[in-house]
Amino acid sequence: MLKPSTLAMILAGGRVDELGVLTHYRPKSAVPFGGFARVIDFPLTNLMLSGIELIAILSQYRSYSLINHIGTGAAWDMIGRYRGISILPPFKDYESPHWYRGSADAVYQNLDFVRYHDPEEILVLSGDHIYSMDYRKMIRYHNEQDADLTAAFLEVAPEEASRFGVAEIADDFPEGGRLISYEEKPRSPKGRWASLTVLCFRPAVLYEMLRLNQESDSYEFGRDIIPMMMERRLNVHGYKFHGYWGYTRTVDEYWQTSMDLLGPDPRIDMEKWGLRTNLEHRNIRDCQPMKIGRHGVLDNSMAYNGCIVDGTVKNSILFPGVRVEQGAEVVDSILFFNNHVRRGARLCRVVSDVNTHFGRDCRVGVPGVDTPGNVTVIGWNNQVPDSMVIGSGCTVYPRLSPDRWPESGMVDQEVLK
Amino acid sequence: MRPGSDALVLLLAGGIGSRLNILVGHRAKPAVPFGGIYRIIDFSLSNVMNSGLTRVGVLTQYKPLSLMRHIGTGEAWDFTGRTRGVKILPPRTGEKDSDWYQGTADAIRQNIDFIQANPSEQVLILSGDHIYQMDFAAMLEYHRHKKADITIGMMVVPKSQIHQFGAGIVDKENRIIDWEEKPEVPRTNLASMGIYVFDTAYLLRTLGRDKREIDFGMHIVPRAIERDRVFAYPFYGYWRDVGTIQSYWETNMDLIPDDSPISPEEWGIRPNPEAEGRPMDRAPARFISGCDVRSSMISAGSVIEGTVINSVLSPGVHVRRDAVVRDSVIFEDSFIGRGAVVDLAICDKRVRVGDGAIVGHGDDRDVPNHDFPGHLYTGITLVGKEAMVPAGIRIGRNCIVRPGCRPDDFQGRDVLATGESILER
Repeated sequence: MLKPSTLAMILAGGRVDELGVLTHYRPKSAVPFGGFARVIDFPLTNLMLSGIELIAILSQYRSYSLINHIGTGAAWDMIGRYRGISILPPFKDYESPHWYRGSADAVYQNLDFVRYHDPEEILVLSGDHIYSMDYRKMIRYHNEQDADLTAAFLEVAPEEASRFGVAEIADDFPEGGRLISYEEKPRSPKGRWASLTVLCFRPAVLYEMLRLNQESDSYEFGRDIIPMMMERRLNVHGYKFHGYWGYTRTVDEYWQTSMDLLGPDPRIDMEKWGLRTNLEHRNIRDCQPMKIGRHGVLDNSMAYNGCIVDGTVKNSILFPGVRVEQGAEVVDSILFFNNHVRRGARLCRVVSDVNTHFGRDCRVGVPGVDTPGNVTVIGWNNQVPDSMVIGSGCTVYPRLSPDRWPESGMVDQEVLK
Repeated sequence: MRPGSDALVLLLAGGIGSRLNILVGHRAKPAVPFGGIYRIIDFSLSNVMNSGLTRVGVLTQYKPLSLMRHIGTGEAWDFTGRTRGVKILPPRTGEKDSDWYQGTADAIRQNIDFIQANPSEQVLILSGDHIYQMDFAAMLEYHRHKKADITIGMMVVPKSQIHQFGAGIVDKENRIIDWEEKPEVPRTNLASMGIYVFDTAYLLRTLGRDKREIDFGMHIVPRAIERDRVFAYPFYGYWRDVGTIQSYWETNMDLIPDDSPISPEEWGIRPNPEAEGRPMDRAPARFISGCDVRSSMISAGSVIEGTVINSVLSPGVHVRRDAVVRDSVIFEDSFIGRGAVVDLAICDKRVRVGDGAIVGHGDDRDVPNHDFPGHLYTGITLVGKEAMVPAGIRIGRNCIVRPGCRPDDFQGRDVLATGESILER
């Protein structure tokens, strides 16, 4: 099979408000994750390992970081006569003057691209989940059922379900069954299966649904397309997924999912999952092995090449180029590329974006405060002044000018713009 | 074209480096791993790249496969493009005037066609065996400024070491007026680093002169200084020939201190992680609760549960609980079992040290290896590629465990005494 039969379309355009300052300058799918990678590496790796090598990425929010990250696609072996990753940015022509007005509209606006490739199945994926999945099994199920749509679902506790698209799935087969009901973010959910935004469509049906959807004023797969297909009694199936699923939609979720990377037997085992990233992005391939000094302490933590640690690092994740000086302490934190923690600084439950500098003896976050909503987020390219005190659950916007820092420090939950 | 970018580079990577013993059992010396993620040749190749030079020939001879795979397309060092490139130049036996490379000058002579096919003003000849950072653009500039026929990179070394090198005596213009190859009694402390800039036309003329001149240091240079313009280019930085086990180990240890004299990343030294062909990337190193890691270099993909002190670990090394790795260099994907001790040792790739085993035991560090007393005499024990060290065994100092060694090869012994070896059967 030289010419691919499945076209994958990754919805990577969005910026999600809840991730706040981490997505001021990049789409959510390009947010760093796992100490060296990006969120989108997970679906890209899944596609690679599933043998799906024709991929389009729909992207409109601050795409540069994402485009840079994808590069030629060679990192995922997606380069060749019949293999490739196309980035599809929004465009204007004389039919369509719009930005992408939603996920379904983004695919609709690129239907000429889709039709050109004439796929047998169209796999629509969200670019911002942390998971390992063999899509081939789901596609096989989809074809066996001759379905118009097969969507993947994960069983969740009823009290959590209302954040998702929720379905009831008939117990037809071990892998899944017909969708009995589907509700988008219902207040009192009927089902307990949450949609993963992994959707496999019969192309002709998808084209028709997208065309009909254009008459509406909302253009989302979850909110509009799936309910429309249910209403029309098309052959819609639910495929039950049982593996690990990590969300990164809010800062708390991002932090929690990151913590699943740690421990002797982590729930997210990137090497076991076969994860690949683009080592050329930020040239992390050229980082030297991490250096640990005479005073370095690392406990239940992970760190990539290029780090220099002479302080204490506990329950934390360090991206390439992070420096932790002697006498500094980093606890329960995630520090992106090239953070620098000076002597005597103490960080607890902090997510800090790239190139941030923590001055001597500063205090960021509050030890012992570990309820949700208490992660402090620092935007990129900041210089936290010496001896600054920042409470828990605070947000600091990117690239603050040095005179913006309040001398009295920041109380819990404060936002500094 | 940028100034200085027109020189052709020939990198001599054919040496056996036999004093590195089993580390070169299946690879050429330039391909020996160094500093966790590098191979020795990365330093020369990166220096060439950072000097703005773009055309390189790598002369291989001894066990070149590992080296060829490592160099690949040369993309890691930016040697790809229409007029850029790195070419592997193996010896071509069977042709007229061609045979195994007999020496440095002979190797270059056998590739005269390559030099002619890549027109240049100067040829830069290097070896791929050294750990250093150097700006060859400045050296080429110096060569042109001096209107030299040959310029030789030279540095001051202790007189006690000069017998390993070509030694030059210079006048106040740095012109070399006398030359001694590996002198017993030194008259100077200025040693050749094996880095030569030749005017291309001069080089072609010289090599065409007499085929019995097979070595630069022994034949070409001594004759040249009598009548041609031969200059020393002084080098003052850190430079190590890692040709012995002791210097290889010491140079690795030099990476560790805060104020290390070697800074591969700052120097712009590039490894080629993709050449390993792994299906997945190395994840960040993981440090499990209860581990103790100090004064060390740890590469991605490693998992540390035990203690690591003063050591250099390549990617994917797993140190299990209660294990101790001290003063050692551990190559890729080695596994140190529970409670094992690795002390003053070099473990090649994918070594498995069984639970509770001790590699490097005892105070008798000055009892040399019985089979290779000239290679191992400072206490360092070598464990070969993919060797399996049985659980509970005690291995002394200056020992050699051959590559691929199985537990049966120890024939039930629970001690391998200092100086003993398990060698090829």
